Amino acid sequence: MIPAGVVMIISIAGAVIAVAARNIVHAVLGLAIALGGIALAFLLLNSPFLAAMEVLIYIGGITIAMIFAVMLSPTGKHEPGTSIGRRIAAGLVSVVFFVAVAALITSTDLAPATETSPAGTSDDWSVQAIGRHLLDDYNVAFELLSVVLLVAIVGAISIAARRDEDQDPAIDDEVEA
Amino acid sequence: MTLEIWLIFALVLFCIGLYGVLARRNLIAILIGIELMLNAVNINVLAFNHYVAPDPAIGQIIVLFVIGLAAAEAAIVLSIVLTVYRQRTAIDVEDLTELRG
Repeated sequence: MIPAGVVMIISIAGAVIAVAARNIVHAVLGLAIALGGIALAFLLLNSPFLAAMEVLIYIGGITIAMIFAVMLSPTGKHEPGTSIGRRIAAGLVSVVFFVAVAALITSTDLAPATETSPAGTSDDWSVQAIGRHLLDDYNVAFELLSVVLLVAIVGAISIAARRDEDQDPAIDDEVEA
Repeated sequence: MTLEIWLIFALVLFCIGLYGVLARRNLIAILIGIELMLNAVNINVLAFNHYVAPDPAIGQIIVLFVIGLAAAEAAIVLSIVLTVYRQRTAIDVEDLTELRG
């Protein structure tokens, strides 16, 4: 088994690359590294099915779609330089948030829950248990999620495929040039 | 490995993502920050699921729903990014003011 410290270092290093890289393609690759580390973290947290889903959906789906979006957009690969003041302000907000929540975590007594879930207490970690819950107690949410995904697919296609007739042709030429 | 260490780890990832959302000016870079924050939340849920939850299947189902919604959100955002970048030469999010009220 991989030690958890290594998993955390991989994830955080990938996340830093994803946020700091100026070239968006490098940032997406950093995100893929971070997501791989997070999938390993899911494994360590006893959820191998979710680790597989993380790799399939995030690394195999979302990052690939991002790379396609970068490649298909004429100007999307580069980024205007971010002003130093903006970076300092963003870093300040993040650090303040980190200190506040870290203080909260360390000062809270995180005892095991005393109440039970609607399905009762169990220690069944198997994929079968997840499937049973999905089609039994959480069936409405499961079906709603499939409707959400369908709407998202139709919406994404209709937004991306729309050609504006009143679009300024000068801008079009500039983009192609 | 204790619960606190996993929570701090998820918090570090969340803060890195928060910094990315606030500091970057490219739409896809902002989306990357949002994905990092969503994954930090997933780790948080699974850590609680591993250490304190009464039924381990519930936390995994919550994370499955989050992953599904994140995939839908990413599809919508990427199609908006493609539309925006096709229509204009400026790529700074500060210039995208068409929807200003």
